[in-house]
Amino acid sequence: MCLQNFPCQEVERHNKPEVELKTSSELILNPILICRNEAEKCLIETSINSLRISLKVRQADELENILTKKFLRFLSMRAEAFQVLRRKPVPGYDISFLITNYHCEDMQKSKLIDFIVQFMEDIDKEISELKMSVNTRGRLVAAEFLKQFI
Amino acid sequence: MSAVAVHQFAQCITCHAWSPDHSMIALCPNNSEVHIYRMSEDKWERVHVLQKHDQIVSGIDWSSTSNKIVTVSHDRNSYVWNLEGSDWVPTLVILRLNRAALCAQWSPQENKFAVGSGAKTVCICYYEQENNWWVSKLVRKRHNSSVTSVAWHPNNILLATTSTDGKCRVFSTFIKGVDTRDSKTSSSSDTKFGEQILQLDLSYSWAFGVKWSPSGNTLAYVGHNSMIYFVDDVGPSPLAQNVAFRDLPLRDVLFVSEKVVIGVGFDCIPMVFAADESGIWSFVRFIGETKTPSSAPKYGSQFSEAFGKFYSQSKYGVNNDGTENSRQRGGIHQNCINCILPLKEPGVSMVRRFSTSGLDGKVVIWDLENQDDLFQ
Repeated sequence: MCLQNFPCQEVERHNKPEVELKTSSELILNPILICRNEAEKCLIETSINSLRISLKVRQADELENILTKKFLRFLSMRAEAFQVLRRKPVPGYDISFLITNYHCEDMQKSKLIDFIVQFMEDIDKEISELKMSVNTRGRLVAAEFLKQFI
Repeated sequence: MSAVAVHQFAQCITCHAWSPDHSMIALCPNNSEVHIYRMSEDKWERVHVLQKHDQIVSGIDWSSTSNKIVTVSHDRNSYVWNLEGSDWVPTLVILRLNRAALCAQWSPQENKFAVGSGAKTVCICYYEQENNWWVSKLVRKRHNSSVTSVAWHPNNILLATTSTDGKCRVFSTFIKGVDTRDSKTSSSSDTKFGEQILQLDLSYSWAFGVKWSPSGNTLAYVGHNSMIYFVDDVGPSPLAQNVAFRDLPLRDVLFVSEKVVIGVGFDCIPMVFAADESGIWSFVRFIGETKTPSSAPKYGSQFSEAFGKFYSQSKYGVNNDGTENSRQRGGIHQNCINCILPLKEPGVSMVRRFSTSGLDGKVVIWDLENQDDLFQ
């Protein structure tokens, strides 16, 4: 994660994350796509002053689809609290991080990387926990409801 | 080779420069000001704050004979500061840039300074006596991307620049009225201003941190692909060497002597490169390491090491790169090192001490006392 402060070449006095703009091709590096299987992938795009990591989380059935979407939307809406989170995921993915040189100046690189890895694991855990709790609740409610017919 | 002094000045330092007698240091704490600190009785106290720029100050250089400070900033402006009495008085330099200025350096004779900018141009500024101000001449139409670093050849005419298009170029900056046409330098017969002498296309990634050796015979610059390039006999037929190293890229280099170069960058520890008798450059060691790591056989184990880390991280989650990082973040600098400057003693040609500043806000002074094996 070697990012540095780099003023915008296109607009004077501006400093923008080059990975979002993509106007100067020489400032962007090749993106890397890491796939665990067809359903889960991770896209890492870098540039001279910013880095974008996009994740696609495994969604096995309809329920997980809905849960993932709602849960990640909840997190993305509160992106200011996370600082490195992007408000909208990159199209084709579920959640995106945008790390700029300012984050690297304020925070330690190793801690940023740890945070992202931890986040990825937590998402998986949370989704499966949510799914389990939805199923449990559904079962309980259904059992209660059907009791009256016994 | 050890860190002699560590000073924490701010949360983050963009660049720094030393006064001619090394008693004062000017630095930019990642904002639009320049702070000047003076060492008094073992403590640093802030004596001046230069506030003229609107955006972050990206380059500071302090001339050693004429005691002037040049500052350039992302707001496209540059000021030359003169010490009058006890205050620093700024003089605006009309750079005619339409993008941010990224780096600045005084020429060896200090009658000119060069500014590299995001407008894909280099500005050479000189003092016009009649009008009492600094005038700039632009070198246009040569660079394809931002100019990240500039370096003057000891003959005061040649200027080397590196750019984010990966190329290093050498220009002639002969200005009539400022430079004298010398019989020595007319070996490069194209002494027209802005004439490109050489273009080096060695790196396929961004280039930073160019420096000339003390004699002007060798040029060194770094690429973002973790390589450092050495070019000997800069001229019509240069001899280029690439040295690849396995760690994170460098940001800046310094020639300690003709044959020894120190590189600093994202690894947070300075690296030493040296040329042996036949002129072949290679990576020697990190500063502070006792044994020299052999670079070639490590590549195989590096791959399996990386795999091991990847797997163990995914199983156990956290912090196996805590152990990896504790080697690189060797203790002294906690974040990327941006800037390396020599602390030359007058009369001594070899540089024994140098200072580094980084994004962690520290300025560290290093001394090469025990490393005489490098200076043979």
